[in-house]
Amino acid sequence: MTQVARPTPERLDAFTLPSQPGNERLALARVAGTVQGRGLSDARLERLKTAVAEATMNAIEHGNGNRVEIPVEVEVTRSGNDITVSISDQGGEAHPVDGDHEEPDLVKKLDGDQSPRGWGLFLIRNMVDAMDITTDGQRHTIWLTMRTTGAAHDEHV
Amino acid sequence: MTSMCEATTRVLPGAAVIELAGEVDGSAAAVLTDAYERAVTASADSADLGTIVLDFAAVDYINSTGIALIVSVLARARAERRKVVASGLSAHYREIFDITRLSDFIELFPDLDRAVSQLGTASQSVEGGTR
Repeated sequence: MTQVARPTPERLDAFTLPSQPGNERLALARVAGTVQGRGLSDARLERLKTAVAEATMNAIEHGNGNRVEIPVEVEVTRSGNDITVSISDQGGEAHPVDGDHEEPDLVKKLDGDQSPRGWGLFLIRNMVDAMDITTDGQRHTIWLTMRTTGAAHDEHV
Repeated sequence: MTSMCEATTRVLPGAAVIELAGEVDGSAAAVLTDAYERAVTASADSADLGTIVLDFAAVDYINSTGIALIVSVLARARAERRKVVASGLSAHYREIFDITRLSDFIELFPDLDRAVSQLGTASQSVEGGTR
């Protein structure tokens, strides 16, 4: 069997944010500054920004319950052609966004059969090339990966 | 929460334009609701208000909660038998309108001029804005 050598991830940035609503904009701006010029087109950078903002908002609101003293941790790494942003909170196994949520259905929402809300995870999944969620005790992490070349999604916008 | 969203409502014959600026997120709920109410009350005959134009040309951020607000506006407009069209969305947010299927229910125009010209009307009065 041929072994494929995996490159060691290179850390591009790591930072924390207080769990205060609105701080997702800070995460978005800082990640965008970190990955700019690293092989993502403008359209794909916009997608990553939206995914980072939504994931950070979930971490602040649902994971850490808007408790400013609990930080949201953000790390940006590059491994080969993959850029990965991980966003961690202390929501643990029972993270509210991991539940068996109904897929958002606009028709149901317009008919009042579904809440108008519930788009966050749906948007994240559709914005990035890969999304994973892991938990380690109370630590809950969402991993957002974009490929800088040969990506499966787009470039149709 | 202080809203970073502003809305200006303009009433045209049979239609109203809500020009949004800033960030369409959870804090924009009251701004958007007030703008819609102003559009309805400022119309000479609210029953004749057939189209709501949402202009996003000066909007730089829409998040999932903002999408939910737009869904609520659309739901209310449909219940009141009004059409909603949108203009000025960036390519990124047009894509999000496609992914969420909002563009199945909201006709998209590149800019406000083209959205208004398809109404075949001209501006008659200007209402106030909110933030």
